Amino acid sequence: MTASAYEGHDEYAALLDAVRGIRWPARSAVRSGIPGAHTSRLRGVSAEFTEYRPYRQGDDTRRIDWKLFARSDRAYLRLSNDRAILPTMIVLDASASMAFPVATNAKWTLAAQLGVALGAVARNSGDPVGLVIAGEEPLLFAPRMRRSVTHEIIRAVSATRPGGSASLSPSVSIAAQSGGRLVIVTDFLGDAAELLAVTGRWVAAGREVHTVHVIAPEEIDPPREAAMVSDPEASDVRRALTGDTREQYVAAYEAWRDRIAHDFTEAGVAYTTAVVGEETPDHLIRRVTAPRGVVATA
Amino acid sequence: MTFLAPGFFFASLAVAAAIVALHFIVTRQPRAGILPTARFVPDTRATTVARATHPSDLLLMLLRVLVVLAAGAALAKPVLTPSRGAEARVILVDVSRSARDSMAMRDSVRAIYRNGDAVVVFDSSARIVAGNVGDTLGALRPTSRRGNLSAALIAALRAGSSRRDRADSLELVIVSPFAREELDAATDSIRTLWTGRARLVRVAESAADTTAIAGTLEISADANDPLQVTIALARATVSGQQVTRNGSPATGSGQRMLIEWPSSTRPRFAVEREVRDTVGGVMAGETVVVSTFERRWTFPADSLRGADVIGRWVDGEPAAIEKPDGPGCMRSVAVPVSPVGDFVIRKDFVHFVAALSGACAATTSLIPANPDLVAKLEGRGGLASREAFQPLSDARSDLAPWLFALALAAAIAELFLRRRGRDTKALGGREKRSAPGEARAA
Repeated sequence: MTASAYEGHDEYAALLDAVRGIRWPARSAVRSGIPGAHTSRLRGVSAEFTEYRPYRQGDDTRRIDWKLFARSDRAYLRLSNDRAILPTMIVLDASASMAFPVATNAKWTLAAQLGVALGAVARNSGDPVGLVIAGEEPLLFAPRMRRSVTHEIIRAVSATRPGGSASLSPSVSIAAQSGGRLVIVTDFLGDAAELLAVTGRWVAAGREVHTVHVIAPEEIDPPREAAMVSDPEASDVRRALTGDTREQYVAAYEAWRDRIAHDFTEAGVAYTTAVVGEETPDHLIRRVTAPRGVVATA
Repeated sequence: MTFLAPGFFFASLAVAAAIVALHFIVTRQPRAGILPTARFVPDTRATTVARATHPSDLLLMLLRVLVVLAAGAALAKPVLTPSRGAEARVILVDVSRSARDSMAMRDSVRAIYRNGDAVVVFDSSARIVAGNVGDTLGALRPTSRRGNLSAALIAALRAGSSRRDRADSLELVIVSPFAREELDAATDSIRTLWTGRARLVRVAESAADTTAIAGTLEISADANDPLQVTIALARATVSGQQVTRNGSPATGSGQRMLIEWPSSTRPRFAVEREVRDTVGGVMAGETVVVSTFERRWTFPADSLRGADVIGRWVDGEPAAIEKPDGPGCMRSVAVPVSPVGDFVIRKDFVHFVAALSGACAATTSLIPANPDLVAKLEGRGGLASREAFQPLSDARSDLAPWLFALALAAAIAELFLRRRGRDTKALGGREKRSAPGEARAA
């Protein structure tokens, strides 16, 4: 690697160290046959014993436990759980609304940290990791397993400046075709309704979908000084945020967040709220990656 | 300096104060900012009202205040207050036909007049002398019009109002021969409007011969003319006149009065009417004759110049006029005389003819007025106080046009300044939008 290849790595070094030991198990047994870290829906012949099952006609006779047959004079098959990889696609919302606050771009910074850290966690689990940045200049990395994928993610997010008002749902659809796990880091201020429909379809198709709702504290509790605020993604939306309208805004935004959380959760999407500055990124990563129930099926 | 209509100036002061206050209360848009969740802010009016510690657009505010104050002051009619003396006079100078001794009249007025006094010259109308009073007095000549003291008194009241700021007390001086014809029924009541006493300066009346006119009322007409009968009946009351019906006077010009009353031809000074009509009556003096008259002739306006109307139709149109003719006068009558019935011997028509045959106006103008009426003109008490006169509401202010011009100039300057400020703001806005960094932030 050249020196430029490591550009931007320093700011993520501490974060990568902090998330080094985190594991990110799949929420359900995966279908993949490639050996990996996640419980597979397939039962195989690995060393990890699970149970015995009586031989049935058609079973491979090579799988009969002959020692048990010798002791019990009955034919049993020795079953064991298979482990498989879970390709993970990370979708980062790089629209103009993520470049907020304007001075710090804190929402995008947090989204980038989450993308890098979640990619590293997935990679540490041996999963292929891909990346989609949905912004003015869309960017797509297909899931890959090589160790340099984390560095590629860092370079990509470091080179990205959020802007524009591109829809997120097409990027999600493309990303979902490539991987088994889908992580969407967004503020839902674009096409939330379409996004809900797309993610709902992929959840129904058996994909594991995570959403991380990035929120700036200034959005929850805007400054009390009167201001004429405008939406960076819709120039025609200019509103007067004054003492009179502020309370109505806070209530409306809170109700909208609750509705988003409810709708996505109901759709089977793992929904996590990430408020800028409220907790450290690694703690946030632990919340996102925490097991939410593994369902193994035979 | 004082204002003739100070209410306008006070109102402009109030408006100017409001303008200043409005410049301290600025309406502005709040600070612009970016908020991705702006869609959750209720859509309300995008301006806030704030109180500024310093007035916004100081020069603009000053111009606006100047416009309002100048216009208000102009409407308030500012006048420079003259120094007020103890006493001033309003002098009524009679130049009617009753006052024919112009030299005596001028001398009397010059003896009374002081600087600052008002001079009102009157005959049938009254005029307040403006400008150089001395020159005007030197050029005064009696006219041939009948004097009207009522009109002169009304003008005196106006002159008193114009002098109320120059003196504590106002004296009314009337320089006139006080002929009977100059006083009418309204004179006494109009005189009471001037609350102080008046000084009456009687000047000599005309030197014309006022002796009674001897002789009898004669008629030069055909023997069958019905007016012969009326003249005969009226002869008992009037004398010294000659009535001609056929255009040729019976005697020479030695007669005092000639009444031309043609039976069928056009009366002198009259013209034929475009459309003949009928009228229900005619009057002369105190006599009214009610009958149906066919009007064929009319006296045009230019024929009345220098003439006295001595008879009128009931609709007000002149029926008979009199013009001076040497020492006497000549009258032209355009009243048709019907030979039918007893019209010519009716008492009212006889009185009508007698009224038309009265003495010439030049003679009656010399008849002195009733001493009681003249005494009423003089009045009693002290001089009229200045407070008794209302300030003139239609007085001219020399400063008002200049103040209006100042207000107009300030308004135009305000317009240009406001437009320039708007252009500057628009240019600033474009420059801001063109800045890439700010465009991104916006």
